[in-house]
Amino acid sequence: MNTSIHLKLLSAVALGDRKAFDTLYQDTSAQLYAVSLKLLKHKDLAEDALQDAFVSIWHKAAEYQKDRGTVLTWMVSIVRYRALDILRANNVRKERQFQTRPNLNEPRVKQTPHVYFMQSRDRAKIDDCLDELDPTQADAISLAYFRGYTHKEVCQYMSSPLGTVKSWIRRGLHSLRGCLGL
Amino acid sequence: MKYNQDQLKNALSPEFVLGTLSGRARLRYQRLLMEHKELQKNVWQWESKLNELGTVMTPQQPDARVWRAIEKRLGFIEKNEDNTEPWWHHLWTPGFALASIFMLVTAWLLMTQKQLPIELPAERVAVVQNSNAEALWLIEVQTQNLRIHATDKLPPLNDQDYQLWMIAKDGRPPIPLGLLPQNGMKEIPRSILFNQLDIAALAVSIEPLGGSPNGQPTTVLFTTELVQI
Repeated sequence: MNTSIHLKLLSAVALGDRKAFDTLYQDTSAQLYAVSLKLLKHKDLAEDALQDAFVSIWHKAAEYQKDRGTVLTWMVSIVRYRALDILRANNVRKERQFQTRPNLNEPRVKQTPHVYFMQSRDRAKIDDCLDELDPTQADAISLAYFRGYTHKEVCQYMSSPLGTVKSWIRRGLHSLRGCLGL
Repeated sequence: MKYNQDQLKNALSPEFVLGTLSGRARLRYQRLLMEHKELQKNVWQWESKLNELGTVMTPQQPDARVWRAIEKRLGFIEKNEDNTEPWWHHLWTPGFALASIFMLVTAWLLMTQKQLPIELPAERVAVVQNSNAEALWLIEVQTQNLRIHATDKLPPLNDQDYQLWMIAKDGRPPIPLGLLPQNGMKEIPRSILFNQLDIAALAVSIEPLGGSPNGQPTTVLFTTELVQI
């Protein structure tokens, strides 16, 4: 379904159209669930985040503006923030062991996190800019985006000092800003 | 914060969107976003770019129960017969109605005896009381705003905020109305939902600075009913 149809559906949702909301859910929930599940790992938590996000979308539909990107990126923002809140609030990290996550640094795989995450998705426009970053910067940003890692978790994963990781992320985002023209 | 706005925009907006700005720094930035449109727009720009990554991930079909749960939460379908209804569904009991009469008297006394300045006539009022029946806030619902007076009985909070919520009779989750003053008087915009929903009660929760981090009350301290005057 294209962007203009999402916009029509969301406009109808803003006026309380339940059928439009149902259609919007059917068309976007699998995409939003993928974001939530990638961050939270646990099916139940990911479903909670998805549920909260759609309740929020129903209430906030009238607040959407084109300045906020496409309807789908706006919806991804909502579910991603909710998933991050759940991630931090439940301290899910403490319940999980690193072994349960894909071990991106295994020698046989020989993939960096950035490359690993690229393989499980289609290419986005922003990838042109991510490709231009120093590989360590792209890795740190990918881990923060797709896994929801904090600075400390990225530094633990990449076995690098906290200050270095913070610098990678800061400089990487600075370069992205230039490339994206923000 | 000692940063100027350009530094905030350039350094903190992308980290806010990425999620690496966390804890108190994130809450402080959230508050700044409410105050500075320029910062908010910058965050939106970052969201629209970074979150393209979320739109190209391989879709995963959620279980059908998620949609059913959403429909229930939004009141589209009847709740089932289980007794796991949330706390705000039990606010309009007879006991609560009796309490509302007491609230009305208290509100009236506050408004007349203390001669609070009222520039616009209030349609409805509520008094939020503590367990000792001491009035903490007087809330007047006016045509454009909620005018809220904090009393001297209110225990001040240094690192937290009190947040006001609307509890609708249709069972939907509480609707955030704004942060309450800890002293003096404050006006917050009146939500359009005051005209659209039957209101069972107002609730006050205690929250991290800046308000609820997830759009729902963290810890509810008080509830009160609005009364027509």
